[in-house]
Amino acid sequence: MPSTALLLSQAFNGLALGTLLALVASGLTIILGTLGVLNFAHGALFMLGAYAMYVVMAHTGSWLLGLLAGGVFMLVVGVALERVLVRLFYQRPHEDQILVTFGAGIVIVEAVRAYFGGNTKSVPTPSWGQGIVRLGFLFYPTYRLELIGIVAALLFALYLVLYRTSIGLVVRAGIEDARMVGVLGINVRRAFLAVFALGVLAAGAAGMLYAPIVSVQPDMGGSFLVEAFVVIVIGGLGSYPGAVVGGLIAGEIVSLTSAFNTAYSEVMLYAVMALLLVLRPQGLFGSEGRV
Amino acid sequence: MNESREFLSLARRRALQLGLGTAGGLLVPGLFADLARAAEAPIGTWPAGVAGDSVFVGVTSPLTGPYSADGKDHVKGYELAFAEINEGGANAKAWGLKGKGVLGKQIKYGVADSELKPNVAVQAQTQFIQRDKAIMITGCVSSAEAVAVEELAQRDKVLNMVGASGANATTGHDCQRYGFRSQPSAYMACKALAPIVAQHYGRGKKVAYLVPDYNYGHSVFRSFAAFTKPYGWTTVAKVVIPLATSDYSSALLNIANSGADIFVNIEFAAQAVNSTKQGAQFGIFKKMQMIVPNISSFQGQETGPALMQGVFGTMDWYWKLEDRFPLSKRFVNAFRAKFRYTPAWGANIGYMQTYIWALAVERAGTFYPPAVIKTLEASKANPFDSTLGKVWYRAYDHQLIRPVPVVVANSAKQMKNKDDVFDIVDLVPGEQAISPPAFLGCKLGPYT
Amino acid sequence: MKLGRLVPEAVLTAVLLAAPFVLVHVGFSYDLLERILDWGLIGLGFDLLFGAAGLLSFGQAAFYGTGGFVAAWLLVGHHLASVWLALAAGTLAAGLVGLGVGALAVRRIGIYFTMITLAFCEMGFFLENSPLSAYTGGENGLPGVPVPQLGPWRLTSGLPIYWLLAVLFLAGFVLARRIRHSPFGAVLAAIKGNAARAGQAGHSVPGYKLAVFVIAALYAGLAGGLLGVIQSYMPPDAFSLDTSGQLVVQTIIGGVGTLIGPMVGATVWLWLRDNLQMIPHVGALWKLILGLIFVVLVVALKRGIAGELRHLFTHRRRAAAEAGVPEESTDGAPMPLAAPDLPLRAPLVATRADAPALRAIGVSKFYGGLHAVEDVSFQVRPGAIHAVIGPNGAGKSTLFKMLSEEIAPTAGRVELFGRPITGLGVTRATQLGIGKSNQLNQLFLDLSVTENIRLAALARARGRFRTDLWRGADSIPAVERQVALATATVGLTHRAAVPVQVLPYGEKRRLEIGIALATGANVLLLDEPLAGMSPAERVATRALVREIARGRTVLIVEHDMDAIFELAECITVLYEGRKLAEGTPEEIQRNQAVQDAYLGGLHEHEPA
Repeated sequence: MPSTALLLSQAFNGLALGTLLALVASGLTIILGTLGVLNFAHGALFMLGAYAMYVVMAHTGSWLLGLLAGGVFMLVVGVALERVLVRLFYQRPHEDQILVTFGAGIVIVEAVRAYFGGNTKSVPTPSWGQGIVRLGFLFYPTYRLELIGIVAALLFALYLVLYRTSIGLVVRAGIEDARMVGVLGINVRRAFLAVFALGVLAAGAAGMLYAPIVSVQPDMGGSFLVEAFVVIVIGGLGSYPGAVVGGLIAGEIVSLTSAFNTAYSEVMLYAVMALLLVLRPQGLFGSEGRV
Repeated sequence: MNESREFLSLARRRALQLGLGTAGGLLVPGLFADLARAAEAPIGTWPAGVAGDSVFVGVTSPLTGPYSADGKDHVKGYELAFAEINEGGANAKAWGLKGKGVLGKQIKYGVADSELKPNVAVQAQTQFIQRDKAIMITGCVSSAEAVAVEELAQRDKVLNMVGASGANATTGHDCQRYGFRSQPSAYMACKALAPIVAQHYGRGKKVAYLVPDYNYGHSVFRSFAAFTKPYGWTTVAKVVIPLATSDYSSALLNIANSGADIFVNIEFAAQAVNSTKQGAQFGIFKKMQMIVPNISSFQGQETGPALMQGVFGTMDWYWKLEDRFPLSKRFVNAFRAKFRYTPAWGANIGYMQTYIWALAVERAGTFYPPAVIKTLEASKANPFDSTLGKVWYRAYDHQLIRPVPVVVANSAKQMKNKDDVFDIVDLVPGEQAISPPAFLGCKLGPYT
Repeated sequence: MKLGRLVPEAVLTAVLLAAPFVLVHVGFSYDLLERILDWGLIGLGFDLLFGAAGLLSFGQAAFYGTGGFVAAWLLVGHHLASVWLALAAGTLAAGLVGLGVGALAVRRIGIYFTMITLAFCEMGFFLENSPLSAYTGGENGLPGVPVPQLGPWRLTSGLPIYWLLAVLFLAGFVLARRIRHSPFGAVLAAIKGNAARAGQAGHSVPGYKLAVFVIAALYAGLAGGLLGVIQSYMPPDAFSLDTSGQLVVQTIIGGVGTLIGPMVGATVWLWLRDNLQMIPHVGALWKLILGLIFVVLVVALKRGIAGELRHLFTHRRRAAAEAGVPEESTDGAPMPLAAPDLPLRAPLVATRADAPALRAIGVSKFYGGLHAVEDVSFQVRPGAIHAVIGPNGAGKSTLFKMLSEEIAPTAGRVELFGRPITGLGVTRATQLGIGKSNQLNQLFLDLSVTENIRLAALARARGRFRTDLWRGADSIPAVERQVALATATVGLTHRAAVPVQVLPYGEKRRLEIGIALATGANVLLLDEPLAGMSPAERVATRALVREIARGRTVLIVEHDMDAIFELAECITVLYEGRKLAEGTPEEIQRNQAVQDAYLGGLHEHEPA
């Protein structure tokens, strides 16, 4: 049995992992909820964000510039992807949407591999994030600690956009009933574009923030995509609160299982998902109608 | 420290002796020609693969993914050896080869990216065997690839000079008659390393392990724990992490909370670099000394001296061995001239194995695989001179008996140039580090 | 079975016979051909799942790995000596895992289904690598898988194993093709086209989805077992997500819905991979190139390689069938035949002799605060034409959906010949003898008229679920008679072979009725059958309704009051979700409350 100190440490770490998963999953879920498109390129976009941070940090050394330039870059990528590809697929079956975004993901990953090579890139921790903070019994890396705050702020900003703006109205109406959106008299095409770009930005932002922690390489997004799926299955399809709560739950499952046996942490995540599918198929925050 | 010095001087003495012995044992010419073996039944790609004026060697190595830096270096070692042997220049002569090529045949080769996936490696090597009639297959940077390709080699009766693979199983449970491994097994590496680190850090240490959840990881853990046990070292945490982990935070929290004095990091290559950097973020190195039982080719440079300084470990080979072994000197010079950087041990494995194979073929006087295998198995009586001095394959399990370099990383201040990352602490003789014959459970398969 | 139908089998046999002698000259080793067939074998199952039933799974690697590792473990651990038995056991194990995963996945809609299969695939990967590594060898996999013995022959690597793969692939293809053309396959096609209507026609959609999911898992399991045999080694990568992804890409490139498409795609993938790698500077880009081809194929709705080939051969036949179909309905549509008695009818099981054909008892439907239907009770006399009318938003369609069990009432219940059907769901209700033609057409647009109607007749003949994989979909005589008669009744015999999407609107409306009719229903609900029709069509369809009402009970919602007053013997009027009045046409016409309710709304024909 692990010590209480370790369990508390892992619970805290689960919060850190969870907020990040929540950010990745919320990007996926607002696109899914509003446009009905399951974006299989989400993992590749996460990776692209990390590379954006790598490039800017390598040239300027400025984390803030990386975040800003990377953010603009991700918005551009999101707009381009929606205009060129995804827009053609709103009227097509879900399976086609999955296939085309899956293909786009392959192309993005392979293009990055072709340009940057398959080797791991390393992104330095920003100067204000170096060192360790002592939190009672727990020593925790400063950057990871700050990341919890930064990601929470981003999630809150996303909440404001979703619940306090007209775009948010469209998103939430879309989650409730896609047909209603047309009735609202909003420029739906533009709103869809904004939502898609916002979702891409969320994936990219997660990648940018995570870049200094993990090694950056072309295939890094794959596992995040799958984990984001698990988060959405747990939280409920297309639900923003579901993505946030599901993300936190997933982070805690991985981290707390690690206190007992690290090797089983991933397996446990999927086991919980399977159990939830039996007990509450629509997910914690999902509505019955949409499953 | 006395004990350590003793090891060092012993190794030096041995190396010297072996070096002196070089001239005598080398040039036993092949007694048979392939023609004389026409009576033998065809086997594998023989004689179809030796019918022309060239032979084909299939090379697979991870050119993408986390081990790709090691994998690319590995391939360059092969390319250099093939070029030298085909040319028949001074280096080929120094190794003891005669004329151009091997038995007068030029070496052609194909290189395929294994993507670090055993299935892809097997697929590519099978293509080389079936399409190109490869007479020898080689190369890998993981034990999973090694074991898979060895199995293929045994089935198709094509000789396999295993590439970089440290797991005990490669010459243990999964050993094959057609597979030969030159890298020290985890057993050898840990047996060589344990007394030196115990000497350095003292007795009765508490140890935490970061164990990647694959065969090699578990091999190293078991071996290291077993060989440090006599010095009173105990395991306080064994943190097994799933494959392809990129965020080590939960694993590192377990280690940080373990109360250990020593942190043994068994992760490899990019993952070793990454876990070390994250470990520093979690303050692990304020409390613990890191040991890396098998240090990957570029781990020192990529991690940087700030985190690596004082870290003990073993390596298959290090360029500073050029001071001890003339063939290492020739290798380093030729490699630098061709590729503009200093070779790492991945390259040495490719380079050295290719030469040993060529020498064995010339000694056997034929490419006929059973004859080459028997020549390699009989090499104890007639060791090969190599970049690691005199080396020979143990007939029992096809493990190369070779010295094990134990190294320690320099601090930034100690480094004289960018290549001066490690110092060789000791060169532990192979006979001293090797496992007892039956220990790893090897049962070699049939010759035909 | 006509000999001409066996052309694909004959061509495939010839290709498989010739391949090892021809393709070796263009860089294919036997090993590569074996791998292509192995991918092709998983692909056969996957194409049934995705191509036939429209279920996009990213989880096939889980079954591929399960089949492979179970077989390999049995053999390497000497638990079984026979490779054949081990392959069978591996296949079976994959099927069982498929059953478990499928049970959780198939009840969800497309997006959810794909996500869940992907997650279970990743779960399989982690299970293989960590908790089960004592059995699977973890990252090392299982080396030493033996080759099979066939009588006196050891099927060693190279040609012998190729022939084994070729025979198994051919057998797998023959079976898969039979499945596609079986009644079971017809239902899969219907589920792909319109799952809701397939369920409404009386087929158990989750049952068929689960069954085809298990079939695909069995194919994957066998292919996984063979992978170990091909290379004497069972690799852990079998479980990786890449395996699932590669299968999807290969299928799209090769041609989805063609059965051999995945094999063709694998040929392209593996050949490109091997040969592009040999070209300096281009080599590393092979996957990027394939990725771009894949995206272009998906965007341009192209059929893939095998799909294009098939299109070349079938294009003319299809064009001929479509020729002569007018853009819009012609006036004076053909008059229906006298309504014949259909051979396949739901059994008439009345709990008591005087039971009403259909009875609603206090049914209500609330959506949050919105009371769409509130406490409506009425009954329908057997053999009657009974109408439900009311202004837009009165709740007529909602009521109909509750009567047919498409949606569950919030309160109240429905009885069919005295038997309660509430809670059974639309599929069971249909099987008990209630049929419905929908307000908005719910057709299988990619199928022909005959196939649409056959779908309904099959549900009556075969029940909710049956795995008749081997017989032809058109081989049940009673079903074919039912199809011919129902098609004739709705006046579409001359369009029998035409794909439904090119039919003019009026004919689609009649087909909608034809499908409901062909379910062999005793009680038929017609939701606005005349909506959108030209005056001439209305006349014809009115006659049609009268004809089909002979020998069955008809309940009709319609805005065309002339038609209602002419057809119905009893009318129930709904207003704002409640029953306002009920009586004969004369009584309703005289009713003051009805007239007040309808003021302004009566003659508007906008959709409710």
